[in-house]
Amino acid sequence: MTDAINEHRRRQLMDLMAERHWDSILLYGHGWRKDYFRSLVNVNYSGPHAAAHLSRSGEISVIVADPWDRELISEVTGAPVVFDPDFAHALPRASAIAGLELMEARFVHGAPASATADIEELRRIKTPDEIECLKQAAVLADRGYRYFADVARVGMKEYELVAEVEGFLKSNGAEDNFMLIASGGTEVVGMKPPTARAFQPGDSITTELTPQVNGYYAQICRTLVLGEPSKGQREAFAIFSEAQQAAEDLIRPGIRASDAARAQNDVFRKYGYGDYTGSKYTRVRGHCLGLFPDETPHILEDVDYVIKENMVLIAHPNTYLPLSGYMVFGDSLLVTASGNVRLNTTEKKLFVKDAE
Amino acid sequence: MKRGLIAWDRTQLPPSVFDSRLARARAALAVRNLPALLVYTDVWRSNQARFLTNFMPYWNRSLVVIPLDTPPVLLCALSPRVYPWIKSVTIFEDIRPASKLTATLDQLCEDRGWSGLGVLDLPKLPVEIHSSLRGRAIVDVPSAGITDPDDAEFAMRRRAAALARKALEKGAAEIGQFERQLRHLGAEDLVIRVRSRGSDAYSVSVALEYCGHWVKVTRAYGPANEVVMLERRFHAALADGGGYRENLAGPQPYEPGTGPIFALHVEHQGLYYGDTCAGSQPL
Repeated sequence: MTDAINEHRRRQLMDLMAERHWDSILLYGHGWRKDYFRSLVNVNYSGPHAAAHLSRSGEISVIVADPWDRELISEVTGAPVVFDPDFAHALPRASAIAGLELMEARFVHGAPASATADIEELRRIKTPDEIECLKQAAVLADRGYRYFADVARVGMKEYELVAEVEGFLKSNGAEDNFMLIASGGTEVVGMKPPTARAFQPGDSITTELTPQVNGYYAQICRTLVLGEPSKGQREAFAIFSEAQQAAEDLIRPGIRASDAARAQNDVFRKYGYGDYTGSKYTRVRGHCLGLFPDETPHILEDVDYVIKENMVLIAHPNTYLPLSGYMVFGDSLLVTASGNVRLNTTEKKLFVKDAE
Repeated sequence: MKRGLIAWDRTQLPPSVFDSRLARARAALAVRNLPALLVYTDVWRSNQARFLTNFMPYWNRSLVVIPLDTPPVLLCALSPRVYPWIKSVTIFEDIRPASKLTATLDQLCEDRGWSGLGVLDLPKLPVEIHSSLRGRAIVDVPSAGITDPDDAEFAMRRRAAALARKALEKGAAEIGQFERQLRHLGAEDLVIRVRSRGSDAYSVSVALEYCGHWVKVTRAYGPANEVVMLERRFHAALADGGGYRENLAGPQPYEPGTGPIFALHVEHQGLYYGDTCAGSQPL
């Protein structure tokens, strides 16, 4: 996406305002959820709050709570930018707000409508420019995972591996990255932030790696074994691989998110591990990707959402199995007219590294 | 996003620190004749819950409930699979799954027979939570006097500031190198920004979270006389209340304002210098 102000989105929002009879719309972001703001003004602000105001006539103005953001956004977009330490005071009234639910109650004037669900739906279908950003992010995810596998070694601590990978991703153009990790054996039931645990021979090291390029996140999930994998680790990976492939084979416009989840879960059921597809052992069987690393709809058996062309999502049957402990495996997929294409090119295998 | 080391070194931050902090919260409840205090927390807004319980979510959001006379309860939107880890880095023994936060809160209130609640900084709650509490007997309990920094807080922030200053001492480095170095030193979260002034000089700002404690340090690299000028301006601004001040004691990592701990920044001809301060001195 070359233009920091997304003209395509601006037109979409103006149509939405006309349809909903809104005079103006505000797109709010804070330090964790920048995606609503960036869906119109794609600049990586770094202060605590930012909001973009779009009038019905199509004029954009920006309000920020950090002076460096004022300079940055003004230089990149040319839009008028107001910096005010008293963010609540500077915020204009608006008919509707995207990100309303996240805002501090003291920021909200009057009773604006929530535009959050509308914006999320608009964002699900990616433009060619957005797809290009996601492809670049997927390339970086592949490079990041290669680096991850290269530097992981027995004796290294979880957070040290994360430090190496974060440094690599930032040096190679990532704005941000979402990453979880776990290491160990059958005792590992999920992923979390890195601890000071040192890797041991025989460990499974799992990661979700999600670099952000030009605002857009792509994800890769892989499992690495230090040393010769056990029979259980190999058996488990075969199930994960079959489940992920089942989703990849199925995903195309017209199927439902629930179908993609069921295709994965049915593989686990076939092998007698259906109990491990529920919320006790796993969160989701995938999710959409874009300006937030965990966009909806989630891939779950109870999510009745029809998949559309040009959505980008990851199918990952990540869960705990008694064979191996927690394991992860998944790739970012672009939904095409007739099916989908993998955006990641990393080999689909259980990664193995010499424990010496 | 928090994806660095989240650990609790009890030699750095003894459990007794949290006893005295919770006592402050309970004193505020007693004065208001309230049975419990509600504290909201999420990935980004974690300082208050961290101060009171050492809980800092790496994802999702939660509610901390501090009863007047029983141990605190965490209503947690994260999976029960990570509760053992949460218990290892916080004071919580009682963690309850809460994919629907306010419904779980309502159940707890009913079980305990509470007809009302205090809410820490009620106007700062996210709209979604704030509106879902509508109709309940809730009372705003301002954080002043409850989450004001104590000696342990100052000590942890000094550790964090020392890490940031050490990384910036070396001067020229690209963001990835800073990221790698600081995360190896234990940074939990980082926001690193570089602002160039043409080809001759630039400024680097590091906002760093160490075990939940945020600091912000900015250094300039360019002609020595200009850097010296900046340092002088910084100390003058610290003495007279000038410069741009960010509040580092609030619920966010950093927000404009002043507080017992704040980051002060000054600018001179497109270069910036700043540090984390308390009173009239850098931490």
